[in-house]
Amino acid sequence: MSEDNDKPEAPGSGREHISPIPEQKDPGSLQHREIVVSDELSVEKQIDLTQKSYSQGELIRRRFFRHKGAMASLAFLVFITLMAVSSIGYGIIPGWWDKDYYSAAFVENGGRPTLSLFPPVWGEYPFGQEDAGKDYFALTMRGTQRSLIIAFTVGIMSTLVGTLIGAIAGYFRGWIEAILMRITDLFIVIPLLVMAAVLGQVSGGGIWPLAIMLSLVTWTGLARLVRGEVLSLRERDFVMAAEAVGTSSRRIIFKHILPNTIGTIIVSATLSIAAVILLESALSFLGFGVKAPDTSLGQLISIYQNSFTVRPWLFWWPGMIILGIALSVNFLGDGLRDAFDPRQSRSD
Amino acid sequence: MLRFILRRLGVSALILVLGSVFLFFITVFSGDPLEDLRESRDRNREQLIAARERNMNLNEPWYARYWIWAVGVGKCVTLNCDLGTDSRGADIGTALMNAAGSTLRLVTLATALAIIIGITMGILAAIRQYSGFDYIVTFAAFLFFSLPVFWVAVLLKEYGAIRFNNWMADPSISLTAGIVIGVLFGLVIASLLGGDLRRKLITFAVSALVAFGAVTYFDSVEWWRQPALGLGLIILIALGAAVLLTYLAVGRSNLKILYAGLTTIAAGVVGTFVFGGWIESPTYPLLLLMLAISVVAAIVIGWFWGGWDKRIAIWVSVGTAVAFAGATALDQLLRNWGPFLDRKPRPISTIGSGSPNFDGPFWTGVWDWGVQLILPTIVLTVISLASYSRYTRASMLETIRQDYVRTARSKGLSERVVITKHALRNALIPITTIVAFDFAGLIGGAVVTESVFGWKGMGAMFQEGLTRVDPGPVMAFYLVTGTAAVLMNMIADISYAFLDPRIRT
Amino acid sequence: MTTTTDNTSGAVLDFTDVDVRFSTEFGSVHAVKGVSLHVQPGEVVALVGESGSGKSVTSMTAMRLLPGNARIGGEITVNGQGIRTLSEGAMRRLRGNDIAMVFQEPMTALNPVLTIGTQMTEALELHGIASGKAAVQRAIELLDMVGIPDPERRVKQYPHELSGGQRQRVVIAIAISCDPKVIIADEPTTALDVTVQADILDLLRSLKDKLNTGILLITHNMGVVADMADRVAVMFKGDLVETGTADEVLLNPQHDYTKMLLSAVPRLGAGRAQMGINISEDSVDESADLAIDLENLVIEYQRLGKAPFRAVDDVSFQVRQGEIVGLVGESGSGKSTIGRCALGLIPAAGGSFRLLGEDITGMNRKQLKSIRRRIGVIFQDPAASLNPRLPIGECISEPLVVHKVGNRKSQEQKVYELLDAVELPREVFNRYPHEVSGGQRQRISIARALTLDPELLVADEPTSALDVSVQAKVLNIFSDLQARYKFACLFISHDLAVIDLLAHQVVVLQSGKVVEAGPREQVLMDPQEEYTQRLLAAAPVPHPGEQRTRREERHALLRQLGDEIAEIKGGGQEFHDKAGGV
Repeated sequence: MSEDNDKPEAPGSGREHISPIPEQKDPGSLQHREIVVSDELSVEKQIDLTQKSYSQGELIRRRFFRHKGAMASLAFLVFITLMAVSSIGYGIIPGWWDKDYYSAAFVENGGRPTLSLFPPVWGEYPFGQEDAGKDYFALTMRGTQRSLIIAFTVGIMSTLVGTLIGAIAGYFRGWIEAILMRITDLFIVIPLLVMAAVLGQVSGGGIWPLAIMLSLVTWTGLARLVRGEVLSLRERDFVMAAEAVGTSSRRIIFKHILPNTIGTIIVSATLSIAAVILLESALSFLGFGVKAPDTSLGQLISIYQNSFTVRPWLFWWPGMIILGIALSVNFLGDGLRDAFDPRQSRSD
Repeated sequence: MLRFILRRLGVSALILVLGSVFLFFITVFSGDPLEDLRESRDRNREQLIAARERNMNLNEPWYARYWIWAVGVGKCVTLNCDLGTDSRGADIGTALMNAAGSTLRLVTLATALAIIIGITMGILAAIRQYSGFDYIVTFAAFLFFSLPVFWVAVLLKEYGAIRFNNWMADPSISLTAGIVIGVLFGLVIASLLGGDLRRKLITFAVSALVAFGAVTYFDSVEWWRQPALGLGLIILIALGAAVLLTYLAVGRSNLKILYAGLTTIAAGVVGTFVFGGWIESPTYPLLLLMLAISVVAAIVIGWFWGGWDKRIAIWVSVGTAVAFAGATALDQLLRNWGPFLDRKPRPISTIGSGSPNFDGPFWTGVWDWGVQLILPTIVLTVISLASYSRYTRASMLETIRQDYVRTARSKGLSERVVITKHALRNALIPITTIVAFDFAGLIGGAVVTESVFGWKGMGAMFQEGLTRVDPGPVMAFYLVTGTAAVLMNMIADISYAFLDPRIRT
Repeated sequence: MTTTTDNTSGAVLDFTDVDVRFSTEFGSVHAVKGVSLHVQPGEVVALVGESGSGKSVTSMTAMRLLPGNARIGGEITVNGQGIRTLSEGAMRRLRGNDIAMVFQEPMTALNPVLTIGTQMTEALELHGIASGKAAVQRAIELLDMVGIPDPERRVKQYPHELSGGQRQRVVIAIAISCDPKVIIADEPTTALDVTVQADILDLLRSLKDKLNTGILLITHNMGVVADMADRVAVMFKGDLVETGTADEVLLNPQHDYTKMLLSAVPRLGAGRAQMGINISEDSVDESADLAIDLENLVIEYQRLGKAPFRAVDDVSFQVRQGEIVGLVGESGSGKSTIGRCALGLIPAAGGSFRLLGEDITGMNRKQLKSIRRRIGVIFQDPAASLNPRLPIGECISEPLVVHKVGNRKSQEQKVYELLDAVELPREVFNRYPHEVSGGQRQRISIARALTLDPELLVADEPTSALDVSVQAKVLNIFSDLQARYKFACLFISHDLAVIDLLAHQVVVLQSGKVVEAGPREQVLMDPQEEYTQRLLAAAPVPHPGEQRTRREERHALLRQLGDEIAEIKGGGQEFHDKAGGV
């Protein structure tokens, strides 16, 4: 490829006047040269084809599984969910626990719990009995089921809605963005809990209508986050390149932009589940959430808060379960955040 | 800048109006306001229904009812608000006046505390990343995030009120309890101050011993029922403030600044003798007057000592003066704990925001509503503190990585100046927005807290209104909280511009 | 390894066998492997190397500002004091007073929320040179010294109110404020435009001449080395591979790495056939169709509450089929804006933009799509140019999928061909972008741009984020591909030497307007316009003697144009007296 290098310069080609660039006449000048960038002299990282290839997703999964706190939280969450579903059963799934949550019975030993760790005894009424003698274990499990259903439904629904609206608002800007921002502003003047309380009142106390109503008020946070990320991603070169090729907007959003916001979405969805558990229980406590005959953990605390001095277990069990679920979901979210964004991780 | 604020204010007003329409609409359609009466078997059922329909304008369509409400609110311009009547015919405006006072007191105090404590904890956690303190703050934040408000509130009622009252009847601290308190205190102080292992151990030993000694001493002199600080401790506290502020502002180099603080303390001592009578039985205006006098005196002293750095000297002496005044007030308050206990043997009630018709001298009156404020404030502070400490930590870590922090270090500035002067201000910029945004959430939390502690505040008003499908009280609640939120946002905008010169122009 | 033979006594900065390791998640990284180096008063020592060579890490050991996971070995003395054993307080007194730093990014090196005055006076007060009003007065004098006009007003301003070059002058003013014995300048001009770079280098040079300050200059730019350095040290992967005077190292390099590095720098005016790049001169047919035809193009950015900003103002030029047109200009010249408009990413506010014969200014998305099929694009930032979630094969085949060309099998085949063309192994097909380096990513970008056999390629600074040796490789591949596929190309760059290598035609932009346009030889060898002359005169060449001549010529040009030459104002002795304390 160096053949033309030694060609005589064509007269009149303009190469003879090189002002203001001085001519290079020095013997030491490396004017005509060919570079040889050998591998050992290159600063460029060589592609190591011997190592296994990991996609971004696999790297994240590996980091996540190494996060001990998140793993413990996940185990706890799975345990609670399995316990709640399997003990008293759900729908057609039969339960292994022999009592139900609605039949009153004779109150034994003041309704004290029979559960003990040393020696490990499960007993007749592990969580005790409430005033009318109903088995409190079954009742708590029922409440846990209902609370989990609401939390997961709302978490999933608000994530879907929030992602979609956030992505559209961030990518197309315009009126959708304006509306999203105004709705966000609305939440500055109307507290989320107040809005949720009014909508909870509208829903009438069943868990499914309540879940839908809560989804209506909880998607905006994620939408705002996704919008922010999309706004910065759409300026990135690879999105520009996709646009320049003529890629359709739908493909750009779903193939190029959203996969890159998956971290934000998953983390936020996780954290919103914790928030919804707390929101639902607060609403039920105030009387605007789940109402009798249906039950939830918040509603149990609300009913039995005044028996705290006489029968503290009626208060402790549902409260500890709410705390446990919320705490483990929050830790799970933190583990996911570390996995998706190792820059903020504590192991760096 | 002014245009920017005015535009934001205009947008906020619009949002406020839209929000009111929305809230009114869904409240009206959240149920049947006559449900209980329809099922009732009362003989005068028809009359009751008619009365309620009249009180709530039920015969009008919802938009007409909204219009009536909006016109009434519009009269506020002439200081003549008309918020209508609730379902029982009571005037909402009057009820709101009583409710708003106690709720705003609660929320403001909790916000201020949460901001101060949360941001301090966040900064300390960030500059001691991966230390024991950092892990504790992080874990505490997660715990607080996950706590159901009402559940904590019920627990606090049990342990903070009922058992505390039992203990107060005959207060004494056992040796074991004293040791435990000492160890805990030592651990907290040691982890707060940091340093290497040796320094930590010394800090721990000293502070644990001091705490243990203090507790034992207090126990032996019956301090729990008759507490006081005394002039010596007041001076010590003010001295501490003066030294700390001087250190934070200029380091150890400039003695003039410290002299300004010391002079301020001397002036304060003279002041306590001059104004002794006023301090013992003051009124609020008198207290404010005394505070103003001490601040003015401090400014003069700072000016006199300042030299070429008058501004910093003034700041330090004013800070010292405020610390001195605060300690003096605290001393008076403590001295009146005994008299207060005589009037109210079980000091903390589980419900209510103060004893009805409490009658006593000024400082015992402060105790009366003050103790009722403690538990709900703890609850509210704890739940919002968590997010502030997390945000501050993240923001601070981000800032410490910036190039200009490296530039500051390369000039030879000490770590203290690098953190307080260069990093902190930049780290606070994003936090102002979050504080403003969270304010609405705090008001929401206040609804639950008030409900648990049986406060007749705005939360109760809202709850009752919503249960009765009565938009009047709900909208009154909205009017106050919405306006407060807008104001809070404006403050955030202004402090944003104050912190960040880039958006000032 | 070359050892220093000079007498090191009296050195203001001395590294002896410095060794740095970082402990990371993935084990220990040996960043600096035993480096010995010294700087005498009034001497500029250039520490040269590409990314990852450890040159910045070496210099930061002298400030003791490396992160906590660094383990340092060896001996470092600043002004005769061994700093390894100094207490933290003593080290702080040394920083600013004896050793100061100038950083790469003037945009981020100053605290955005503090005034220039505050940031200048704090060092003066800390080191007891002046305080209060006297410190402010001194800050004003310092700003005046480094050539900032109207310093009384500037001390009250915030960094965002100053331009990049002015900020770098402020950083230099802070660095010299306490009269340090040695200044470490870490890539002080890399983020600046070439004309600003020349000024800042002049200013730094006057520091050593007038104040007798020693300077450790860290840079990757051989032109800057030739312009500034008395002695040169070359680093490669943590090792010092060569040291010597500037003439020795630049003109007669001994180590293979230095030779390679020098050979990879494109030289302005050195003719076409450097680095094995051969863009044929006679391929352009005057009668060829126009790939791009701009007529009075105007592009505006809308701004909230203000008049729109006119980024491109009345620009006309043409690109013929098979021709490479270089679009040159400094930051803010509007060159990238034109590139984006060519891709239909930004609408034009006026004039016409004919792309491959069709006017795109009024086109809708669908009409654009058929045009876009015939255009390829390469962007600047290798970190952002590929979708991190897609495997490399999919990144390259994406245009084929979008335009529904061929089936899966044929698409795969095409990707393999392109990978061969950009000299990457076929195995990277299933790898992810984060697994390959920046230069390899830019090669993948080129492959992606060529998937649809475009008639026109828009390349927006494709190599400016790369190390020189990597850039050489990428440019090589680019030129081979152009020779093979004969596409027209709009090549946007700020680097005149690169343009000189590749372009047939050159268009010089300044503040959105065309200053000069024409064939390469005419514009680059015989510029008619003042701006083009300044631009060419400011570009340094990696040859000390030659660069000295060029510098003198530039100064002559500036004087002729009535401009000042950047230098420290005032005399040296007076300065030392003042900085000694009040």
